[in-house]
Order: sequence, then structure tokens, then C-alpha cells
Amino acid sequence: MKHPSITRTWKGIAVFSAAALAVTACGPDTGGGDAAEEGEETDWSEVEPADSIVFATNHPGGSEDLEDELIEQFTEETGIEVEVITSGANYEETSQWFQTGGGSNADVIVLSDATWFPNYLNGALAPVDELLEAADVDVSGYVEALYEDYLYEDNHYGVPYARSTPLFYYNVEHFEEAGVDAPPQTWDEVAEIAQTIVDEGVASYGYAFPPSNEYPAWGMANLVWGYGGGWSDEWDFSAVSSDETVEAIEFAQNGVQEGWANVAATSQTDDFASGVASMTIQSTGSLGGILEAADFEVGTAFLPDGPAAEGETPTGGAGLMIASASSPEEQLAAAMFAAHMTSAESQAIFSAGTGYVPSHQDADMSEVYQERPQFETAVDQLERARVQDYARVFLPGADLELAETLQSLLTSDADVREELERVQAEFEDLYESDLADELE
Amino acid sequence: MTTTASPPALGRRDSAEPSGAPDEHQLEIERRRARRRQRSKNWSLFLLFAGPNILLILAFIYYPLAMNVWYSTLDWRLGAPSADPVGLANYQRFFTSPSGLEVWRVTGIFTFGAVAGSMVLGLLIALVLNKKIPGRTFARTAVFSPYVLSGVGVALVWMFIFDPQRGALMHILNRFGIDSPQWFLDPDANLWMVIIVYVWKNLGYCAVVFLAGLQSIPRDLLEAATIDRAGPVRRFFSVVLPLLTPTVFFLLVTNIIFSMTNAFDILRVMTPTGNGTNTIIFEIYLQSFGQFNRAGYSAAIAVVLFLTLLIITAVQLRFVERKVHYQ
Repeated sequence: MKHPSITRTWKGIAVFSAAALAVTACGPDTGGGDAAEEGEETDWSEVEPADSIVFATNHPGGSEDLEDELIEQFTEETGIEVEVITSGANYEETSQWFQTGGGSNADVIVLSDATWFPNYLNGALAPVDELLEAADVDVSGYVEALYEDYLYEDNHYGVPYARSTPLFYYNVEHFEEAGVDAPPQTWDEVAEIAQTIVDEGVASYGYAFPPSNEYPAWGMANLVWGYGGGWSDEWDFSAVSSDETVEAIEFAQNGVQEGWANVAATSQTDDFASGVASMTIQSTGSLGGILEAADFEVGTAFLPDGPAAEGETPTGGAGLMIASASSPEEQLAAAMFAAHMTSAESQAIFSAGTGYVPSHQDADMSEVYQERPQFETAVDQLERARVQDYARVFLPGADLELAETLQSLLTSDADVREELERVQAEFEDLYESDLADELE
Repeated sequence: MTTTASPPALGRRDSAEPSGAPDEHQLEIERRRARRRQRSKNWSLFLLFAGPNILLILAFIYYPLAMNVWYSTLDWRLGAPSADPVGLANYQRFFTSPSGLEVWRVTGIFTFGAVAGSMVLGLLIALVLNKKIPGRTFARTAVFSPYVLSGVGVALVWMFIFDPQRGALMHILNRFGIDSPQWFLDPDANLWMVIIVYVWKNLGYCAVVFLAGLQSIPRDLLEAATIDRAGPVRRFFSVVLPLLTPTVFFLLVTNIIFSMTNAFDILRVMTPTGNGTNTIIFEIYLQSFGQFNRAGYSAAIAVVLFLTLLIITAVQLRFVERKVHYQ
């Protein structure tokens, strides 16, 4: 006769084992397989584009109607149907949605400069170089730095779509009141003009730095590069605590302590548009909002030069990526679609309607310039566009670490070098714990 | 027409009556069959009524819970098709890393501030609203209404109030010659800012529950205390508060749980990067869906939160309830 407690034990083990099996059957593979294994090479000359594809987008810059218009043109030209899925309200939500499997049927996805890399690591993105060649796309038409943003290990993983860069904004009326007749060209001039504005009592602050929730590592990259520093040199993080970077951040810290600059409480856009600060750096995508909110004449200028470099502007915004899970036919159709959405004509329409800078060099923006002359500065500045440092866009959590550290440094008298050395150590830890195994 | 089967005769088996033995045996078999049929019928009824609910609970509560426990043992980036089993390393990291310890510090301050603030102020408001004052119904509605408002809406309005450059609070403080604190830039001020907003939103809930407790206190006890010349303070501490202990106990348990789990909307909107406000619930979000993408580590923190709440509730039930005075 079986002992009842033993029977119950075996039943318990059986139920637990069944539950454990059920649980592990639906999660990630823990058998040590390489998720990023290369698939078989495709002979694209043999592939016909699919009849329909799925486009996942957060409609950057409120572009839902514009996207519909461009999609309609594409379907008329190629006969390929495009199903649109709204994948989130912003770039972060879109990436979360794609990463957690919501976008398992998407062929083309809008992913930002800071969110595409984890999806690449997950093996979810297809390299586009051969695909674009198969779709007869001339990639030399793209603004070089905007296309090179998607280059990793000799392959591109996207095409530039809804792109932006930081732009220098100034209050023309404040400048006139303070007797300043031209926007600053260097960071030293920014400090000088800002001090004059404060001394003359024209505004509370001459310049507004971004708070931690406004991506300060993006907006302040120009300052750091201008001094010859950076957040990283590829995966070498010593640049973040170099003498040049320390000097650049000390310049900003001194500005706040001397009173010519502040760190905006919620957004530098609000401080600038409300007249609290006379100058700031914010995305080109914010131009429309600033012009609408400000009751004064808004001037725009190139980002200032530093002592070591001309005013380079970091790239930003989002691109179109193609899913690796799609069939070759769908990928080819997706490449044709991505090429259409980023063509010179499409980018002119998209840029005029959203405020993003055109990613194609041949986009005709003359009508927009007539309506908003400030936008011309944003487009001309693309000549100075520079691909962002790995630490900010590729290292998970590093942008947040930089954001909080920059805010802390600018609102205190903490030792900049000590803090940036701590950040470097933190970056090295993040790299070792979260990336090294996969990249080396 | 109904027919009723007569129950089988029950009696002791008599070994001296061998002819009756097969009948008894047959009866026993029949009884067993009847019991089995009844049991089977009961099970069918149980499954019919409770089955769908049990399936839903298993699918949407226990299955994700089990999955989460498993994920917590993996080094897994969000969405990655593969992961490395790491045992309890994620738990070890949370309990030993400076960032993990900071989460406990922030959670402790937030929970204490939110629970103490909501309960003390809620009780004071309930004591006022328990009096016969003009406009009492309107005041009760006004006090309770923030509790049912959207946390996102509440947070957005309070962001305007706290803005140190343009906010209403800045103007009020300036009238008294005081500069506005840098609510959004200083991590400590950030934490107190979200505690204030959470207390404001949660106050109505505590006030209404306290009010219900106050109204259930027998008036004759208060009258007897008054006759014995007990003043209002003495009446409160010697009569009202002891009789309110079931309400205090209930609010203590629910407020601790709510403050650890329900404050996410306010935290996310007012302090999107978690600068000094990364309580345990917010840290779960920041680690998985924020920039870090650490699904395994985040799952471990979620398990820790679950166990923490389980322990707090168990301790409260075991020790605090003993001191509760029920009428």
C-alpha cells in the first residue's frame, strides 16, 4: 500500500515540474544559443517584393496624416499595400513595444538614435546595405552623418527618417535691449552676452541649460566636443573624464555659479519661451513649439564653437529599421518603402509638416524657409552634424547616468573631475556587466 | 408526480445471519457509488461555477507570477531571445549594490512620509468633518475628490504649482521673502515634492475611512466621558483613539501597500528619470523599460517587492492586530 504523504509528495513534484516546464517553455532560450547567429545569405536578384508590409510608427512630430499621404503615394507607385500600426506615443514606447514582442509582425519600425541598438543586440534588425542596393537606393543622397548613425560593425541598420539636431535659440528682443547685435559664435561669447543680459536686468538668466529629463548629454555634447572632450571614444570611456571634458563641464558649472546661466526646472524650452532665459539649446524639432509659445522674435544660430573645435552638432531623432524576422520578400518591400519615405521629395514634405530636418540632401525646403526663416539655420547646420558618442547612444543606462551627473554638477559646487571619474568607472561597469560578453 | 426512494436500511452486520451478508455488502457498494456520484456532481458544479475564474486567475496572476520568478534568475535583456541563468545573482546585486541600497532608503522615506502624512492629516480632517459645521457635505466631497482623480492629471497640475520660476508656490513664498526651493533639481527636494503630492491625493481616502470610524463610536461613551469631566484631548486619547484602532490598523496596512505600489503615475510624470525618487516600484520600471533594459534584474526587484509586502502584511496581522480594540 502506498503511503498517502509520499503520494502527495510525488503529485506535488509532478505538478511543480509541469508548471516549471510550462513556464520555461515560453521564456527566453537559456541553453546558451547565440541569438545573433547569421542567417543564410540571400540572392536578392531572385527575390520579388511582397504585396503587403506592416509599418510600426509612433508618428514622430504628429505626422500621422503626412505618413498616410506618403504611404498612399507609395502604394500608387508600387502596388504594395502598407498596414500602419501605432506602436506608441514616443520613441521609448515604440522600442519597448518592439522589444516585448508587440511588433512581431512589423516589417518596418521607427526607432530612435538611442533605442535601436538594444534591438540590434536582440538580433531583431536586418542590415540594410544589401537590401537598399537590391532596391536601387542611392544612399549617397542622405546627409552623411545622419546615415552613419546606423553604422555598426561594417553594416548599416537603418535609414534616416525623422531626424533632428540641437539648435541655438536666442531672444532677439532681449539682445536688442542689452545692446547685443549678433548671436554668439563661441561659448566664451555666450558667457559674455549672458552676463551682460543679467547685469542689464533684461532677464533672470542669460542662458538655460537642460535638466536631467531633457537629455543634457545630447544638448551639451557640442560644448564638450568644442573643448576637445567627449562622452567616449567608441568603447573607450576615458574621454568622459579627460581634461578637456572636465574643462567644458567646469565652464558650465561656473556659468550657473556666476549667475549668467541656470538649469531649467522642467524644460529649457519653457524658460526660454517665457523669457526667464535669453538663450538656450534645444532640438530643431522644438522650433515650431517655441515660435508658437514665444511672444517675442526668436532668433536661431549655429551651435557655438569651442576653444578646440568648430561648433559640431550631435545627430538625433529616429530612423526606419527593417525587422530581421520578416521574409526576404517582405524585407525587400520594406526597403523600397523606407527608400520612398526618405527620398528627397518625401523628406521635403515630412520636414515641412513636422519640423524635423530633412535627411536627404536634395530636399527642396525653399517654401519652408519663406515661412520660417529660422529653419534654414537648422538645415545649413547639418554640414556640422557629427555622429554621437557610443556611451550616450549604445551603452544601456549611460545617458541616464550622464543626465543625472550633469544636473548634479551644474546645480552644486561638486568636484567635476572626481564626479566624471566616477562616471567613467560606472560606464566601465555597465559595459562589463551588460555588453562585453555579446560584443567581444 | 415525484417518487422518493426509500433509504437503505442501516443496521449492524450480524455474523450470526449469514444470509444477510450479501445484502449488507451490496448496500455498502451502493452507498459508495452514491457518495462518488455526489462527489462527482459537486466537482462538476464547482468546476462549472469556479472553473472559468480559476482559469483566469491561473492565466493572468499565477502564471505571470511564476514566469516572473523564473525571469528573476536570468541575466536577460528585455526582448533578447536568449538569456543566461545566474541563480540568485540579481537578488544579491539588489541587496548589495549602492544603487539597490539607495532604492531601499528612498522607499523607506517615501513610505513613511506618505503613510504618516496621509493618516495624521486624514484623521485631523475627519475630526473636523465629523463636527456639525456649515457646508459639511461640500467639504467632505472636496476632500475626497482628489483621491478619484487621475494621478497623471494631478501630477501635471502640481508641476505647474511647484515650478520654481513661474509656479504658484514660488509666488506665495516670494510674498514672504522666501526663495522657492529647487524642487525638480535637488534630489531631496524632489522626494519631498512627490510625497506632498501623494499625501494630497491620498488624504481624502484616509479622511473618509476615519470619518466612518468616528461615526461608529457610540455617543454614550463620549457622553459618559464628558460627565466624568474628561476634556476634548482626554476624550480623544482615552476613548476615541482606542476605539478607532481597527480603522487605524486597516489604514496602516492599506496605506503601506498603496504607497509602495500605487505611486507610480505621480513619480513617472513629475520625475521621469527618477532623480532621487526611485522607490522600489519606480525602480522596477526604470530598470526594465527605462534605459537599462534589464528584464531579469527588474523581475528580481519585483519578487522582492512582492515578498516585502507579504512580510509586512503578515507581521501586521500577527503583532499589530493584537493591540486593536474591537467593540
